[in-house]
Amino acid sequence: MSESKNFDIAVVGAGPGGYAAAFLAADLGMSVTLIDPEINPGGVCLYRGCIPSKALLHVASLIEESEQAKNWGIEFSAPKIDLSRLRSWKENVVKKLTGGLGILSKQRKVKYVQGRAAFENSTTLRVKKFDGAEETSTFDRIVLATGSRPAIIPTLKLDTPRMMDSTGALNLEDIPSTLLVVGGGYIGLELGSVYAALGTRVTVVEMLPGLLPGADRDLVLPLHKKLEKLFDSILLNTTVTAVKDEGAGIRATLKAQDGSTQEKVFGRVLVSVGRKPNSEIPGLEKTQVKVGPKGFIQVNKQLQTDDPSISAIGDVVGEPMLAHKAMHEGRTAVEAIAGQKVAFEPNAIPAVVFTDPEVAWCGLTETQAQNENREIKVAKFPWAASGRAITFDRPEGMTKMIIDPHSERVLGLGIVGVGAGDMIAEGVVAIEMAALAKDVALSIHPHPTLSETIMNSAEVFFGTATDIYRPKRG
Amino acid sequence: MIEFKLPELGENIEQGDLVRLMVVPGATVSAGQSVMELETDKAVVEVPSSVSGTVQEIRVKEGDKIKVGQVIFTVDGAEAKSSDQSRAAAAAAPVLVRPVPVPQATPATTPTTLPAASPTPDAAVAPTSGPSEFKLPELGENISQGDLVRLMISPGTKVAEGQPVMELETDKAVVEVPSSVSGVVKEVKVKEGEKIKVGQVIFTLEGGASAPTDAQRPRTTPVEHVSGQHGARLAFQAAIRAEGKTEEQALPPDQPLLAPQVFSMPVQLGKVAGTEQRQPIPAAPSVRRLAREVGVDIYDVKGTGPGGRISEDDVKAHAKSLLQAASAAAQAPPRAGHFAQPQLPDFSKWGKIERVSMRGVRRKTAEHLAESWNTIPHVTQHDRADITELEQLRARFAPKAEEAGGKMTVTAIALKVCSAALKVFPQFNASIDVEKEEIIYKQYIHIGVAADTDRGLLVPVIRDVDKKNIVEIAVELSQLSKKAREKKLTPEEMQGGTFTITNLGGIGGVGFTPIVNFPEVAILGLSRSRMEPEWVQHKGGGKFEPRLILPLSLSYDHRLIDGADAARFLRWIAEAFEQPFLLSVQG
Repeated sequence: MSESKNFDIAVVGAGPGGYAAAFLAADLGMSVTLIDPEINPGGVCLYRGCIPSKALLHVASLIEESEQAKNWGIEFSAPKIDLSRLRSWKENVVKKLTGGLGILSKQRKVKYVQGRAAFENSTTLRVKKFDGAEETSTFDRIVLATGSRPAIIPTLKLDTPRMMDSTGALNLEDIPSTLLVVGGGYIGLELGSVYAALGTRVTVVEMLPGLLPGADRDLVLPLHKKLEKLFDSILLNTTVTAVKDEGAGIRATLKAQDGSTQEKVFGRVLVSVGRKPNSEIPGLEKTQVKVGPKGFIQVNKQLQTDDPSISAIGDVVGEPMLAHKAMHEGRTAVEAIAGQKVAFEPNAIPAVVFTDPEVAWCGLTETQAQNENREIKVAKFPWAASGRAITFDRPEGMTKMIIDPHSERVLGLGIVGVGAGDMIAEGVVAIEMAALAKDVALSIHPHPTLSETIMNSAEVFFGTATDIYRPKRG
Repeated sequence: MIEFKLPELGENIEQGDLVRLMVVPGATVSAGQSVMELETDKAVVEVPSSVSGTVQEIRVKEGDKIKVGQVIFTVDGAEAKSSDQSRAAAAAAPVLVRPVPVPQATPATTPTTLPAASPTPDAAVAPTSGPSEFKLPELGENISQGDLVRLMISPGTKVAEGQPVMELETDKAVVEVPSSVSGVVKEVKVKEGEKIKVGQVIFTLEGGASAPTDAQRPRTTPVEHVSGQHGARLAFQAAIRAEGKTEEQALPPDQPLLAPQVFSMPVQLGKVAGTEQRQPIPAAPSVRRLAREVGVDIYDVKGTGPGGRISEDDVKAHAKSLLQAASAAAQAPPRAGHFAQPQLPDFSKWGKIERVSMRGVRRKTAEHLAESWNTIPHVTQHDRADITELEQLRARFAPKAEEAGGKMTVTAIALKVCSAALKVFPQFNASIDVEKEEIIYKQYIHIGVAADTDRGLLVPVIRDVDKKNIVEIAVELSQLSKKAREKKLTPEEMQGGTFTITNLGGIGGVGFTPIVNFPEVAILGLSRSRMEPEWVQHKGGGKFEPRLILPLSLSYDHRLIDGADAARFLRWIAEAFEQPFLLSVQG
């Protein structure tokens, strides 16, 4: 391993996966160059994704809750929204975090280059810096962490700021009176929620029969009910077949499953139909890197591409396109480069939708178990029986545990409700540690908290939950 | 990614030669589907897959020697799975192959091979026998087909599990075949009078389509044209340069939405890049990493914790046992006859040579005989039996045996004679347990008969010879010999012998020294019987008479059998040939 410490390594892309890889490589004693078009590390997640959207969602939930406070005898007047201050607050959040990463890079003596990289060969990169200079350097190893970008539907392309992708929506240029969200996935629902809370009348169009395709339906249901109130309408089994710029708005043609169409004018349109890997890296054809049919760079469990000197991580190597997956991959890739015997082989990758209520799950889902014909037991604990949920008047949540009926091992956890995203981590640890339902049931959880519902769901499996009467069947 | 490893094939079968591969990269396999033919011990077996999915990489080639546990191929894809159920099915029994000429499959190697491309009709991707169809089940040992005498169902008939659905006439009997599925019959795929093979689809059920099995589920076919993609990328680069555009401007337009999969919802956690489709192993991440560091496949480790959880200690214990096994193997003396011999000269110096793989029966014979020879101190006792009278009896009873479907041969008679002799001399029907310092006397008499086939020496075993009459023995011997020639013998039919007879008389010779078939302790060799002048004593004189003499050669394990006993045993046999009456008195 001592030999590896002298490695000269370049990381292309400074999103969470890229900077995690770069920082670990530096910590292991490698000489590291981190290349990214932005002024500081952070990538889409920090600049145009997770972080700014979470800042805005916090504001949205504040507005929502202050309205709900009426029910508790507290009444506020309608909020006055100073859009430019809201924007600058959001931008400050981003700056604080990305600036912090810049400092961390310096402290670790990572050479941060603002620019774009192109391959000269498997080990040589030509970097076009933003100050106009070009620099060609050779490295022992190169890690590709080029991430992804919003997918575009060709028929929904209009050259107007009213037509937005997630990046445009996060810029928050105005609060349109109406917004059409194309795609009922997590990005569309999160950003749609922000605009709805700020006063926009939101219409969501989803081509599949349910929101958050792929998630267990019982986890989506409470969110769906809430969004039905928050949004103008949720149109399922519906597609947008055409859009037309009418100056004052965008006329969209919506086609329902029965073939009927309707036209409506929206102030803005947000297209959130997924993301595409950024695998069109200039000069990649000069390497042995292989790109798969969906545009993902092909890697093995050590995140190595078909080119022995090139690894790839994060969104550009495959689903799920999540920052925490990318970070773990980045660290694994660098450990592998350092000669450690490692592999990317998680038993659970948590997924979180930061709507209100939040939806989160990890490990095996009920849907997946059904598709695979796997025998499972599902233990559900409704939050109507959670003291904590009642205290803040959000009893619509639910915690469910997917359990192997034979070994009684925890295979999956799903949560819908306030704070689900933070609580799901317990499920990840339980699954990774191969905990049994009994282990979770016998671990004391603090009262009164929502985390108790995880312990409670394990108790439901044994038919002995204190706060709910649900005797074990069969 | 899941690996398919060679499952256990049977007792004492550790490896085999890959005769035929029935899958190619890209082919879809389902659990239970035959994926290769293996020549083991003394039979060719079809090996069914225990995994389902799309074949990714094949790690063996035809002609390879494959050991139990060796990885044959890997599968990938959304459907890739290895259920316990199918694993059990695979372990159940490899299917004996019928002796059809084997078309050679040419494994395709191009990455553009379409899934489901199969080299032979046998390997065609058939839906696994789900609940939607009924296939002819195993009917019994060695029954591979039967004639359909009567069908008891027709389209629309409601069948329940256990309900007889047809009558089948097999070699042995007419049997009623019960259904193993329930539902309404949709289509009947056989007709009365047809020959039906085990595994053949008899009928399908209504509504079976609503529960498609993995193999039937439509799958996306990720066909990647590497060169095409490379070309596209080059063209793209050229376009950028030509137009002077930036990378971002020049990004090609996204493909139109084809399917809902474009949603990058983080739901397909099972399809994370680089992760295999194996079920999560009950071991903490730190333990999994330890396993990697010490070079142990965590999936091989048995967890001792609750729910089968694997601890650090479990991994260490497993690694230790692997190490011990490896060092024990290294320390063990090289196995006798295992090609441990001085280096060969370069034969081609003196003329043209041809090298031929010494596989299957030949290699097994070589190993086995060398082991016998090295283990057993051999002595061969010779004697002669006057079978003049016996020959007359044989000729007289031959039609009777023929009627029953057998052939009254000297070997058949020798079987009966030996079974009687073995009862009188039980130490010839024994084995030596050197480790326990014990002699194992067998309370049964199963005699192997060496058969000369075009594949080499095979030794089918006739069970309980002492309980059968000569006609029965003759019939069974004929059947087994036929099977041996047709490569239909199963490993079971060649196991469990307590004594062996080898008859070279059909070819000639006056005597030879057979090698004992370890772990047996004796073998009787018969040579060509011929007319010889024998001195026959008469009252007041004697004279030479022409007598039919059968030369006998008995090789035995001198560790267990003394020379005098061997002489007595062989004399008893000779006398039994001379006076068949002895059999009924003493045998």
